[in-house]
Amino acid sequence: MSKSQHDRTHHAKKATGKGDPQCFKGEAGPAKFKVGDRVRIRDLPDIFYTRCQVYTRGALGTVAAVVYESPAAEDEAWDNTDKPEWFYSVKFQQKDLWPDYPDLYANDTVETEFSERWLEKA
Amino acid sequence: MSTRSEVLKHLNLVGLLQPALHVPQHAPYPDAIDHSLYRAYLRSSHDVGGEPDVPIAWEEKQEEQWELNTFATCECLGWRGVWNAEERRRRQNVDLGQTQYLGLPYYGRWLLTAARILVDKQYVTLTELVNKIEEVKKRHEQKSAR
Amino acid sequence: MSDKHKEDEHGHRPPAPMVDEVSDFEVLEMAVRELAIEKGLFSAEDHRRWTEYVHSLGPLPAARLVAKAWLDPAYKKLAVADGVKASLEVGVDWINSPPTGFGTPSDYCNLRVLEDTPKVKHVVVCTLCSCYPRPILGNSPEWYRTPNYRRRLVRWPRQVLAEFGLQLPPDVEIRVADSNQKTRYIVLPTRPAGTEGWTEDQLAEIVTRDCLIGVAVPKPGIKANAKRTVHPAVHPVHHDH
Repeated sequence: MSKSQHDRTHHAKKATGKGDPQCFKGEAGPAKFKVGDRVRIRDLPDIFYTRCQVYTRGALGTVAAVVYESPAAEDEAWDNTDKPEWFYSVKFQQKDLWPDYPDLYANDTVETEFSERWLEKA
Repeated sequence: MSTRSEVLKHLNLVGLLQPALHVPQHAPYPDAIDHSLYRAYLRSSHDVGGEPDVPIAWEEKQEEQWELNTFATCECLGWRGVWNAEERRRRQNVDLGQTQYLGLPYYGRWLLTAARILVDKQYVTLTELVNKIEEVKKRHEQKSAR
Repeated sequence: MSDKHKEDEHGHRPPAPMVDEVSDFEVLEMAVRELAIEKGLFSAEDHRRWTEYVHSLGPLPAARLVAKAWLDPAYKKLAVADGVKASLEVGVDWINSPPTGFGTPSDYCNLRVLEDTPKVKHVVVCTLCSCYPRPILGNSPEWYRTPNYRRRLVRWPRQVLAEFGLQLPPDVEIRVADSNQKTRYIVLPTRPAGTEGWTEDQLAEIVTRDCLIGVAVPKPGIKANAKRTVHPAVHPVHHDH
């Protein structure tokens, strides 16, 4: 019988007194994007798991904030936490997401977060 | 309800659980699956933003004791390092599959996922889980109607 | 005789349920918790402590954060720049208050306070699941968790808000915040007219949970969420105190 060993202490060791995502501070290297950058959301394969919503794929947005460093959800979901990325809050005009969004409400927006891998310069 | 009548009722009911895309042949040939269908079947079930839906009455809900217990169990499992919340969400909101995702109650998914992590990470064998469920059932002399 | 026990057209009555009937979910819940404790994954004391922690949570701290921000422009600036730091002043330590000492597993430690203006109205959803700022707001309402809310708010926000009784002029930007990662949001609504000279307590009273999610706006005299149907529990939570 093979029995895998799981280290149940690693996150508590890393994050106690610091919090999460604070505990990943400094691990992602330089941020690729900055506030104001125009970005397009990449349509990477979403096999098995993603937290990059399909409704954003291929859409054009603006970086509203550089928020924190953390493992990407797609990796953290398997406890692979070795390669944190920068996360960004990106704002989209509703009319850029939905072709039928009424012109009357042209100011309406959606804001949501992405790990760096999902963004490319527009 | 007797085990046999429950089994017969079950066999009729599962036949009604079909893929939402009504197709004449299950387990189709590969060349029947175009890119759109491939993407649809592989979708992450939780990713529902922007899908059309009808207006419903917005309701509140009184919490069941078992739901609160389940929430505390899931957070304690995170606290004590059995999993992190993202592992939980992946298992609970995507791995369960489309049918259970939309068909089960919200906390029903949390609970099944907690049971599953215990078995997947070998803290408990499936045999132990099955025996424990039987033991709890006997303790409460559960009617099979619910 | 209740409807449950009425005879059908054949003169049969349905079997009377046992007084202490348990559901499949309740059986599994007990099984999972007992096994986890038996195997030393967490203790019964851990579980009790977490339940207590959950019972301690509610929307009052978030309401006070908003009231403080209305009264103190410097605090409002802090709240918008650093929600975690601002939370400390209303007694919420995102990192150390939970029993873990590193935040709650599900809610993390990155509160962002979304400031409404006369030109921008925020409303929050988690399209992927039901992420919610529990440490400062308590547990999420049932409607927030529904696939329906999660499907529609991000694409038809004005229709959904109208269903909640909120309609805004076309030139106001409705900004939907989709909390899909580690950030958790509360809305800091604009301070309504008719509250001049009010104390912090008076102001906090009109900032309801629905206002903090963004589906309602604070109004003088309105101290509770809109009345909605409450689906009853079969075995509701019992409070020992």
